[in-house]
Amino acid sequence: MQRSIYALIAIIVFAFTPPAHATGLEEGAVAFIHALEKEAVDSLTDPAKERPARVQAFRALFEEKFAVEAIGKWTLGRNWRRANEDEQKEFLALFEDLMVAMYVDRFQNYAGEKLNILKTTPVDKNRATVHTEIQRPEGVDAKPISVLWRVGRQGDIYKVLDVVVEGASMSITLQKEFASIIKNTGSVAGLLEELRKKTAQLNPS
Amino acid sequence: MRRPCILMLFLCFFFVFGCATPPPLTNSEAYNEFKAENDPLEPLNRSVFAFNQSLDKALFQPAARAYRDVVPLWVRQRIDAAIDNLRAPVIFANDLLQGEMKRAMTTLMRFSLNSTFGIAGLNDFAHEIGLKKHDEDFGQTLAVWGSEPGPYVILPVLGPSNPRDAIGRVVDFLVDPFNAWTANTGREELTYARTGVAALHARAGLLEFTDDLEKNAIDLYAATRSLYRQTRDDAISNGNAAGADVSSAPSDFPDLADSADNKELSGKP
Repeated sequence: MQRSIYALIAIIVFAFTPPAHATGLEEGAVAFIHALEKEAVDSLTDPAKERPARVQAFRALFEEKFAVEAIGKWTLGRNWRRANEDEQKEFLALFEDLMVAMYVDRFQNYAGEKLNILKTTPVDKNRATVHTEIQRPEGVDAKPISVLWRVGRQGDIYKVLDVVVEGASMSITLQKEFASIIKNTGSVAGLLEELRKKTAQLNPS
Repeated sequence: MRRPCILMLFLCFFFVFGCATPPPLTNSEAYNEFKAENDPLEPLNRSVFAFNQSLDKALFQPAARAYRDVVPLWVRQRIDAAIDNLRAPVIFANDLLQGEMKRAMTTLMRFSLNSTFGIAGLNDFAHEIGLKKHDEDFGQTLAVWGSEPGPYVILPVLGPSNPRDAIGRVVDFLVDPFNAWTANTGREELTYARTGVAALHARAGLLEFTDDLEKNAIDLYAATRSLYRQTRDDAISNGNAAGADVSSAPSDFPDLADSADNKELSGKP
C-alpha cells in the first residue's frame, strides 16, 4: 500500500516537473527582452544625440541583439541558393544596413513607452516566443500594440529571430517583398539594387 | 439592368487581359511559388492598387489627417464608441455562427450596457468593467466554416480583399439591422452617413501604420498583400495564429555563438 502511494507521488511529481530542455529558456528570454528594452531606451532617447549618432548606437544594439545573418538568409528563402557567393555577402551587408535604417526610427518612436510582458511560450528547446504589448499614451488612435518576440538561445546567448507586430511577421513580410522584387527584376542583382536605393532613401545625408 | 451588363463586360475584359502568365510547370519551384502567392490577377491588381494609392493620397489621407487634427480627442472617442456599438449586432451574429458562445455573450453584454449606461453607445462603458471589444465579420465566419479565401483581389476604392472576404462584406452589410431599418423607413442617407464616418474614422486610425509602411516598404504592393493575409489569418484565429506559426523564426542560427566577427561575443569561449 505504502509503496503504491510513493509510486503515485513519484508519478505526480514527475508529471508536474517541466521537461528538462525547457529549463531556464523562458526566464532567460524574458530577461533578454527586458535588457533589450532598457538598452533601446538608454541609447535612443537621448535628445542631444543627432541621427547619425543614434544610427551608430542602434547598429551596435542590433548586431548584439538580433540574429542578423540568420534572419537575412531566411528572408531570401530559396533565392539564397540562387545567389552567388559575392551576392550573398553583399546581400547580408545591405540587409543589415536596411534593417538598421528602418528600425532606428521605429524603436525611437516607441522607446520610453511601456512594454508589458504578457507571457512566454516555448517553441522548442532553444526557441521561445515572448508575448508583449506596447502601451500607447492615452487616446482613441492609440490602442495597445501586440508585439511577439521570437527569441533563440545558443549556450547562454539570446538573440531576436523575428518580431511579429499585430499578427504580422517582419520576416514573412520582407521575404514576400524580396521574392516579388526578384520575380519582377529577374535576378538577385535586381534586388540588391533596390535595397541600395531604399537604404539611401531612408538615410538622408 | 443595362448597367450591370456593361460592368460585366468590363470585368470580363479585365480578367482576360489582367491575368499573369504562370511559370511553366517544368520550373516547379517557381510554379509552386506562383500557386502559393495566389494572385493570378497581379498585373490588374497592381494597376487598381496604384489607382487606390493616388485616390488615398489625394482624398482620404488629407481628410483623415484633417479629421484627426481638427476633431477633439473626446469627440473622436465618442464616435469610436458609437461606430462600435452600431456594429455590435453583426459581430454578435458572427460570434454565434462561429460557435463562440463566450465571445457572443461579451458582445451582447457590451451592446446592452453601452446602449444604456453608455448613453446610446457614445461611451464604451463596458470596457471599464473589463468587457473588452473584439471584431468579427462574415468573411471570418466563412473561413471558420472551412471556406478557402480564393485569389487575392484589390477592389477599387475598398482595397485588398478576396472573394471570401468580399462576399463577407456584402453579407454583413445586408444583415445589419441599422441598414435594414434605414432602408425600410426611407432614411438611406443615415446609412451613407454612418458608412462615411466609419470609413473616415478607420482611415484616421491607420495613419500611423500606413505612414510607416509607405516609408519603409521596398515593394509596397507585395508588402500590403502579405500584411493583408497575415492580419486576416490572425483575425480569423482570434489572435492565436501569430502565436502558433513559428515558421518565420529560423531554426538554424549559427551566427549566435560562433561567428568570428561578432565583437561582443569574442570574449566568450
